Amino acid sequence: MLILAIDTSCDETAVAINSNIQILSSAVWSQSTLHASFGGVLPSLAQRQHQARIDWIVNKALVNCKLKIENCDCIAVTIGPGLAIALEVGINKAKELAVKYKKPLIPVNHVEAHLLSPLAVPRSRILDLRSMKFPCFGLILSGGTTVLCLVKAIGDYEILAETADDALGEALDKAARLVGLGYPGGAILEKFAKTGDPKKYRLPLPLQNDVIKNRFSYSGLKTAFVRLFETIKKPTKQDIADLAASFQSTAFDHILKVLEFQIINSSFLTHNLLFGGGVANNIELKKRLRKLCKKYGIKLLVPYTKKLNGDNAAMIGVCAYLKYKNSNLKDFFDYNSVDRNPKLKI
Amino acid sequence: MKSTKESSKVIDVAIKALERGQLVFMATETVYIAAVDATNENAVKKLIAFKNRPFGKPFSVGVTDIKMAEKYVILNETARNLYKRFLPGPVTIISTGKHNLAKGVEAENGTLGIRIPDYHFFQEVCKKLDKPITATSANASYQKRPYKLADILDNISEKQKKLVDLMIDAGELPHNEPSTVIDTTLDDQPVILRQGEIKLKKKNEVLSRSEENTQNIAKELWQKYDSFVGKRAIIFALEGKMGVGKTQFVKGLAKAMGIKEEVTSPSYDLLNSYDLLTHIDTWRMLNPNKELEDIGMKDLIHDKSVLAIEWADRTVTEIRKYSEEAIIIWIKIKYPSDNSAQANENYRLISWGNI
Repeated sequence: MLILAIDTSCDETAVAINSNIQILSSAVWSQSTLHASFGGVLPSLAQRQHQARIDWIVNKALVNCKLKIENCDCIAVTIGPGLAIALEVGINKAKELAVKYKKPLIPVNHVEAHLLSPLAVPRSRILDLRSMKFPCFGLILSGGTTVLCLVKAIGDYEILAETADDALGEALDKAARLVGLGYPGGAILEKFAKTGDPKKYRLPLPLQNDVIKNRFSYSGLKTAFVRLFETIKKPTKQDIADLAASFQSTAFDHILKVLEFQIINSSFLTHNLLFGGGVANNIELKKRLRKLCKKYGIKLLVPYTKKLNGDNAAMIGVCAYLKYKNSNLKDFFDYNSVDRNPKLKI
Repeated sequence: MKSTKESSKVIDVAIKALERGQLVFMATETVYIAAVDATNENAVKKLIAFKNRPFGKPFSVGVTDIKMAEKYVILNETARNLYKRFLPGPVTIISTGKHNLAKGVEAENGTLGIRIPDYHFFQEVCKKLDKPITATSANASYQKRPYKLADILDNISEKQKKLVDLMIDAGELPHNEPSTVIDTTLDDQPVILRQGEIKLKKKNEVLSRSEENTQNIAKELWQKYDSFVGKRAIIFALEGKMGVGKTQFVKGLAKAMGIKEEVTSPSYDLLNSYDLLTHIDTWRMLNPNKELEDIGMKDLIHDKSVLAIEWADRTVTEIRKYSEEAIIIWIKIKYPSDNSAQANENYRLISWGNI
């Protein structure tokens, strides 16, 4: 099944062409990568930019794999969660193309797509999905999402924990900006953390008194970090590194503590942990997750390329395929039923 | 459109124009106003067309004294006290109207805002005309405050210019704040809808001892304003450093509004909506005023939404554009200073006002 997928849920304008779970091409116009070299500029509100870029990105994705829309079997588009006015741009474009080329239109949940992104494969490889056993755990960590869930089957999820306030990616970005590392600074924070001492500063582990660990929270850690930083007069580069390491380490401890609790208390025997979202770029976190998983005989599955961690449309195509591969595409011609849902949950 | 310099000689010219149902720009101690005879239906229609705003948005009116005011509104004790203390002066006092003005002057709920401008020319015209005069600012809606006639002319269309019959030029006015708007209709406690130059003394500041406390303070504050739901947009403009608990405050607001969902930080998505409440965060915005506008402020205000805006200090210009239509409550949350008696890592000082 050839899928043209579109995602405009937040800052990125993204279009991809997939053949089932194989990614043929993936085009992303990202403000953050463009601006990163300038020391981190805040991304600007996306609607007008999405509007201005969408046609160009659609074309780029098609040209990259030498295909035409006529060749595609269906169109998939993100309907949420995200910023309503940004989502609308992608949905309108998808509808326009679906009408023009008489293609089925599949609505996709952006968070579910992050969750399933580890199942994508590059052009050169074919993954035998039969080796994928359910139930498994799913962890989605990004700027806007912090969710741990149980994947009973594709399309059947049970939320085990989600954030009560800030998302992990957001907390990392905010910490980075506070200590002067720009925005979005999560990646730079990781670099600094590498040369820092994570035990230099004691920060409170979020929700450590929760007996049943079924939620995340980062606002308290953020506040403690702000207060700590205020006490350091004229921080040196080493201070920043130590601060970054301490913050990151505590933030990750929280994820691991909740995950371990859920693994131990799960009534299912699980073999895999799917891990997606922008924070999946963090090597330290992957290392720690892998170690924890090993202890319980679980395999950590992450996307094969970093490009699938940040927002992208390839994962939208993957999700559309995995969810509806056994459905009849004829059921996807009711274009009016495809509508934005900024607060969509998985 | 005729234009003339303000002097005692043109008082009669102004009166004649108003009597004929014309639209006149004239000065007050705050800003230039778009004046029409508030009892003349056609004149008020003309004003509504000029202001480019939907029928049903009220206009405040200017009168000469409390006696004249009483012909048009019912004054309770709170209102009387405020008249005595502040008028004439830059204060607009909202009371229950007597429904004897032209349609469209009173608010839909029958209330009317009255002020007594502390400005000689206006007083003379109003006294001789012996009718209340609309005292809405002479700018088109959403434009900057009119301190000189050029400010207005630069920002209105040719169509709007044609509606203006007479301009009385008093030069550039001192840049005073627009009038403070105080609502006295709710109960004995006056509610300030817009803070101008006149400030009520009582300082609204409380100490929060915990996150839960912050949420409860938000709940209490909501009680003060929830009667405006559906009547006006309400903006809770939140200021305060990272980590002080702005989102905690919004969690409390949401609970008070009966929202069951968990309110989480909108930093990444910029905007989250929950039924009545729209939660916005400008922290990540590059050009905050512009982006807040792009995100649909105008529609949100028009729909009489309840907005909670974090890092509102980054978007003062955009928020202030709606000071006439929306109730804006500025909320500042800060850490008590380290050497104060309230120094404690969980304590916060929360203050609010309609400045």
